[in-house]
Amino acid sequence: MSGGFLVLRRGGATWAVAHQEVRGLARRGAAIEVTVAAGALAAVEVLGVAAELRLHPAGGVLRRFWPEAARGLAVHGTLPLVLIDGQAPPRSLLAEPASPAPSIPGEGNR
Amino acid sequence: MEATHLLVRAGEYVCALPLGAVRQVLRSLTLHPLPGSAPELKGLAEFAGDPLPVLDLARLARAPQGANPVFPVTVVAWAGPPEARELVGLAADAALDVVVLPAAALVAAAPGSGGDGGLVAGEAIVGGQVVRVIDLQALGQVS
Repeated sequence: MSGGFLVLRRGGATWAVAHQEVRGLARRGAAIEVTVAAGALAAVEVLGVAAELRLHPAGGVLRRFWPEAARGLAVHGTLPLVLIDGQAPPRSLLAEPASPAPSIPGEGNR
Repeated sequence: MEATHLLVRAGEYVCALPLGAVRQVLRSLTLHPLPGSAPELKGLAEFAGDPLPVLDLARLARAPQGANPVFPVTVVAWAGPPEARELVGLAADAALDVVVLPAAALVAAAPGSGGDGGLVAGEAIVGGQVVRVIDLQALGQVS
């Protein structure tokens, strides 16, 4: 499969997102946020861009023991990776929502 | 009917894998864990340029973990039904022997002892010890 892929690291695993699914890319502190249709993904590192990936279907064994959607599996260099579905990325990849500004008790009653 | 099996140690069990399904036995592959996976899935590895899900054979067979579960061996084998078979890695403690198991030697696994999703097809006595015969075709089926 070609068209270009962004290759990321998070949680000890390697992930890829197809270029056409990337809506934005921004640094947030030490993390890098990649915005896709489902929201912002937090990566610890962008490993690079892959022009092509030889995709393998996520087979029954993977689906049985890993309850997340994936467009397929591939290898980037020597790193096995999961090509994520921008509509339904793995929950562990989603960025924490920005925490609201701390409220001061009683402040809203004035 | 008899079948040739590869005996591997997985935790405190000895398991028999159908030799025809075994593609390669390797020193442990480098694993990349997948966040949110079930404990049976150790992670993904790279094998011959392709991605490979690697499973913990001892957990699949519900074997008590051995004294030193470092999984020095990965057995690469075909799993799943013939029409949808796929390569998987099985992390194990050691590859032991190749044996021929006559069908008559196999005793069906007791209910509830079949490991995850009925993966243990039965038991046989080999060299005076109990061997759990693994049904790799059942592995790709959702339990």
